[in-house]
Amino acid sequence: MVGVLAVVGLQQCATPEERLPILGQREVVGTDTLYHTIAPFSFVDQDSAIITNSTFQDQIYVADFFFTSCRTICPIMKREMLRVYEATAEMPDVKILSHTIDPEFDTVALLHDFAERLGVTSNRWHFVTGAKDSIYKIAQTSYFATAMEDKSEPDGFIHSGAFLLIDKRQRIRGKYDGTKPEEVNRLIVDIKRLRRENEQ
Amino acid sequence: MTVLLVVVIFTIAAGCVPGSDSGSGRSVKFQQYFVEGQSLYEQHCSNCHQSDGGGLGRVYPPLNQADYLEQNFPYLACLIKQGKKGEIWVNGVMYNQEMKGIPTLTNLEVAEILTYITNAWGNSGELVEVSEVDNLLLTCTEPK
Repeated sequence: MVGVLAVVGLQQCATPEERLPILGQREVVGTDTLYHTIAPFSFVDQDSAIITNSTFQDQIYVADFFFTSCRTICPIMKREMLRVYEATAEMPDVKILSHTIDPEFDTVALLHDFAERLGVTSNRWHFVTGAKDSIYKIAQTSYFATAMEDKSEPDGFIHSGAFLLIDKRQRIRGKYDGTKPEEVNRLIVDIKRLRRENEQ
Repeated sequence: MTVLLVVVIFTIAAGCVPGSDSGSGRSVKFQQYFVEGQSLYEQHCSNCHQSDGGGLGRVYPPLNQADYLEQNFPYLACLIKQGKKGEIWVNGVMYNQEMKGIPTLTNLEVAEILTYITNAWGNSGELVEVSEVDNLLLTCTEPK
């Protein structure tokens, strides 16, 4: 009996499609709800272009934090992000934003070389660098992703392997472990869901 | 009893193909090195070189079917322990990402990793003996 109820319950949930949650703190002002959004930022990408919030106007994007000399989780994250890049090849409104957390080493030239070697272009995947404090601050306070220097770590940094899904209004709609293929599969599904939501 | 038998057969069958590449009819010692090498590879190497040895783009070079492995075998033990900076050509492609060495690996572990990477993924090498690694580590000159 319980089983039957569970099945019925599942079927009811399946349609219509649930909207993705909006993550972060929210504030109700009068009749409006203010959601957590990504704070203003300005970084430089692998082609020396200035990348700001307005770069992603009317765009969905996936953000992460990494550094090129990292041997621990970053190579796996990049392999997985490459899957996202390939899966979204036909989606002109979907972009990727990878922030280096080691801007002293990861110069624009180095990021350019890295992106080229990965076989990706800056019109869809921005690798950005900037002031270290700004990168760490936006990681912590806007994306809720850990990023900091830690000399006791094997590569000198501690950071999360999270991929963050950001909607066209700069709100976080999903957080995924970028080192786990099944989580990244879920991200790819969620990107499609988010696009359908925008069509409505 | 039947269930137990099935489990036993399954376990034996699974044990015979540790990486599907190790080759049947190889010595027990080879199997041990291969399996240990695979586990060490997953721990220390596969993040960059990937579990299938395929590498990643032109960032991390492949190890499967890589001419560099065949041509520079005597240098590989040094490469694993000491790392490498600068350009490296693999299968006609230039890579230039620093690989940090892992000096803490024992010579036995290096032998196991070498046994694994030179025999996995269709690579056709042989068991790499610890004594061989001992010798190879005496002179580490980068190939030109």
